[in-house]
Amino acid sequence: MTVIEVEDLHKSYGHTRAVGGVSFEVARGETFGVLGHNGAGKTTTVECLIGLRKPDSGRIRVFGEDPGRRRRALARRTGVQLQESELPDRIRVVEAMRLFASFYDRPDDWRAVLERWDLGPIGGKAYADLSGGQKQRLKLALALVGAPELVVLDELTTGLDPVARRETWTLIGDLKASGTTVVLVSHFMDEAEELCDRVAVFRRGRIVALGSPRGLVAETGTGSLEEAYLELTGERRDGVEA
Amino acid sequence: MRAFAHLSATELRLLSRDPSSLFFMVAFPAMLLILNGGSETLEIFVPGYLAMILAIGGIATLPAVMATYRERKVLRRIATTPVSPLVVLTAQIAAQLAMALAGAVIVAGVAVFWFGVALPRNPALLVLAFLACALLCYAIGFVIAAVAPRARAAELMGMLIMFPMIFLGGAAIPREGLSGELSEIGQHLPLTYAVTALRESWLGNPTITPYIVLTGIIVLGTAAAVALFRWE
Repeated sequence: MTVIEVEDLHKSYGHTRAVGGVSFEVARGETFGVLGHNGAGKTTTVECLIGLRKPDSGRIRVFGEDPGRRRRALARRTGVQLQESELPDRIRVVEAMRLFASFYDRPDDWRAVLERWDLGPIGGKAYADLSGGQKQRLKLALALVGAPELVVLDELTTGLDPVARRETWTLIGDLKASGTTVVLVSHFMDEAEELCDRVAVFRRGRIVALGSPRGLVAETGTGSLEEAYLELTGERRDGVEA
Repeated sequence: MRAFAHLSATELRLLSRDPSSLFFMVAFPAMLLILNGGSETLEIFVPGYLAMILAIGGIATLPAVMATYRERKVLRRIATTPVSPLVVLTAQIAAQLAMALAGAVIVAGVAVFWFGVALPRNPALLVLAFLACALLCYAIGFVIAAVAPRARAAELMGMLIMFPMIFLGGAAIPREGLSGELSEIGQHLPLTYAVTALRESWLGNPTITPYIVLTGIIVLGTAAAVALFRWE
């Protein structure tokens, strides 16, 4: 079953084209990577998916509904982690969890989510006093506390140290195993290779390649997704200039 | 409803953790009252303090909080949950009102039970005047939050609008004490009408004019805030 359908999405800000004709589908239970440089149109595409932005043209369906019109209904089934969004300085970790749980009709037990993300020991800490990694983990936990069927994660592990990144990967793996559909915006290729069933490589507002990480590696005749990515986005500079 | 209750309670907790809100809305008015404790006409100070509490919270703190939430993309994050944006705004108002009520009960309690100020003559109308004053301050606060480009600007604008209003409008000090020109300016400030409504209901000589003017400003202010407010 298809959870997300995007057909010929266009979005410009003034004269700047952010997304120019993007189409893809995400199946239920799939972990779908949205890859690309900064400014390639990843975040704009994702913001259109969750109804935060209205496309100029094109058709988007999430669970069969138009996010532009049914944002709040879809928000009940979707967990979101936004790039750069913060919380009030003085809110404590447990308070944020309890608050966000109250936004949903059938949330997960927030205490269990707190423990799963190893936030229990810092439950009484104020947001401003958390380290970058702790903030990131809290934001992830808040994205999941509503027991969503679809999770959209923008810059999942930015700001995390290598250990925390690996731990986060494990937890996303658990999420996949539970059948949750995940859209993962990233510019870490190792992460996409590890977690994603399929990836879309964005370049200047278009998708230049779409397929499984292994497929893209084979297609480009490279050794890793990172190399395939550089090849596909035309950024490979290792002496192949003709 | 559950989300509203949780949001209001959380916002109230955050307000009470903010040392300046706690001081200026709860402790400061009672301190001013004690400093003026020797006055023969203490009953004209108290209704003004109620307006001052609401003005500090609604005109200075509220826009700073809202603009900070916008700048730090808190509003945007909440927009990705099933909670309606309107719930975020009403929870903010509920928290402000609860905080102001705490300050008001303390200052009125000290006035009545410590200094022997006569109880309000028209308590029902006093409640109405308090609510009208609150709505006035919140409407002004949301307009500031709407037009301020950044959080720091909202904070500054709030102060620049709040201070003249409480000093010239008869909230922090009765207008009787102002010299001619200042008193003249004070006559035309929105908060002055709220102070008048509060004072008249406390002293038991209410008139309708302040309520008409307040209703007009509240309607206009709310309309402006709705038209101008930006979520991001």
